[in-house]
Amino acid sequence: MPYEFEEILETIRMTEIEHFDIRTVTMGISLRDCSDRNIAVTKQKIYDKIIRYGKNHVKFAKEIESQFGISIANKRVSLTPISIPFDSCRQDEFIEIAKTLDKAADEIGIDYIAGYSALVQKGMTNGEIELIKSIPFALSETKRVCSSVNIGSTKAGINMNAVLMMADAIKLTAEKTKDKDSIGCAKLVVFANAVEDNPFVAGAFHGVTEPEIVLNVGISGPGVVLDAIREAGNVDLQQLAEVIKKTIFKITRAGELIGRKVAEKNAIPFVIVDISLAPTPAEGDSIADILKAMGVADVGAPGTTAALAMLNDSVKKAGLMASSSVGGMSGAFIPVSEDMGMIRAVQAGNLTLEKLEAMTAVCSVGLDMIAVPGDTPSTTIAGIIADEAAIGIINDKTTAVRIIPAYGKKVGDFVDYGGLLGKAPIMEVRNISSENFVKRGGRIPAPSRSLTN
Amino acid sequence: MKFSEEEIRKITFDALTELGSNASPEAVKNLVRKRLEQLGGEFSSTKNDSSGKVILTSFGLNHPGIVAGVTQALGDANCDIQDLSQKLLGDFFTMIMVIDISSSKKDLKEVQEEMNKVAEKLKIKIYLQHEDVFRYMHRI
Repeated sequence: MPYEFEEILETIRMTEIEHFDIRTVTMGISLRDCSDRNIAVTKQKIYDKIIRYGKNHVKFAKEIESQFGISIANKRVSLTPISIPFDSCRQDEFIEIAKTLDKAADEIGIDYIAGYSALVQKGMTNGEIELIKSIPFALSETKRVCSSVNIGSTKAGINMNAVLMMADAIKLTAEKTKDKDSIGCAKLVVFANAVEDNPFVAGAFHGVTEPEIVLNVGISGPGVVLDAIREAGNVDLQQLAEVIKKTIFKITRAGELIGRKVAEKNAIPFVIVDISLAPTPAEGDSIADILKAMGVADVGAPGTTAALAMLNDSVKKAGLMASSSVGGMSGAFIPVSEDMGMIRAVQAGNLTLEKLEAMTAVCSVGLDMIAVPGDTPSTTIAGIIADEAAIGIINDKTTAVRIIPAYGKKVGDFVDYGGLLGKAPIMEVRNISSENFVKRGGRIPAPSRSLTN
Repeated sequence: MKFSEEEIRKITFDALTELGSNASPEAVKNLVRKRLEQLGGEFSSTKNDSSGKVILTSFGLNHPGIVAGVTQALGDANCDIQDLSQKLLGDFFTMIMVIDISSSKKDLKEVQEEMNKVAEKLKIKIYLQHEDVFRYMHRI
């Protein structure tokens, strides 16, 4: 037998019991050649191009799924940040484009299409201002479109004018989608140091330096890591790091295989595998449970940040060894609503916004899927975004904020989206004003890269 | 039958001329494909797996007839069993096979469907996965 009995059973256990799956295969499509003076022509060009490249995306992914017995949870498309090719558009035209994207996504059978985006870390063009203003309308009038805006980078600093605009956009999006627990905000990410090849929605976009078309893969397997740690028992932390690395190595290899095969079928280049540990609301598929298995009584206990830092680092090390195509975010995600363990920690009062913020300094990707009271002022949200962006630009890493100021809700309530987005308890936000700071506007200068203490 | 790049280019230009103003990328592709097929070219869209080796894993509560049932179905589908290993843990039965499906008329998906029927009849679980996934995960 070319493989050991145990090896084969291990793979079966990962895929059938421990929720190991390919979280997403994301097709990146450039829209840079779709611009036209006439908006109707532009829309048609965009639609045709997405259909042309994407029409078999779901079908091929399903074929690979059954061939290798590893499920692919999501099939998605990311696009050139649309403010770039369509910079001459006005707000209402951008909304028209969003509707076109939604229609195309529906036609090819994907659940999300991402790239309703702008990169404004240094400053905004007229088109970018129009796009940001259009976001609440675009997200409330479409189902599948996801939006992201990059407001800061290590090289440019933090564009506080854009931060303020985004805070207002988030508040308005929450209000415009109040009938569905402000779900629009779950499709809107504010980034610092955004990466151009991230396959994970809602923050995916197809960067301007990317080729015509690519296929990127995001893998996920918190359940597999959790079981491996539990099985390892009482070992010291070096040995535990080794256990995590071995597990991640295997699932990254599988991710790379699947990515290559799906890309081969589509006859497009396979570019990166993103080795992030992304939880799902399924029981056991949780980062919080991993941290608890490592030894902290609950997420939020002193020691949580250290445990998370070690987990995140082990994921990267193993992934880099397993694949030469590592990219995207590649770290552990700690979204609250999508992780049953995190939800429980918040409900028990063990995990606060402040501790969560500290944790984001050592992992991917930021304050993700957190619900806060609907009456949180937009200047406070701007303050939260600025804090998170500061962690990103100082530490040379990607950070993001996906915050839901749930319209009409207060601490103790829930927002519930079902599916992969899960449900989030409303978290308490300190009632101390950030207004005078954030309203100064302008730009926080780019940080120094020396004297790094 | 294989065509050189030059030949395919010529066929494509002919197709473009033939379609005239009706030429769209999709129409050209379809016409070129039709012409190539008429000339004896083949498009193997279903059986393009890198190798025909598949790992079959089955487990469930032990009872008489499991091995017979599984091998019978594989034989009927003209699949070649290349290796077989099985273990009993108490009442629990596990069997792993390396099978080659390249001689079968059925593709992996159809064999999987066949085996699902067998699994249901024998009240066991059967998984068929392409060998590559094990090679990638367990061999450097």
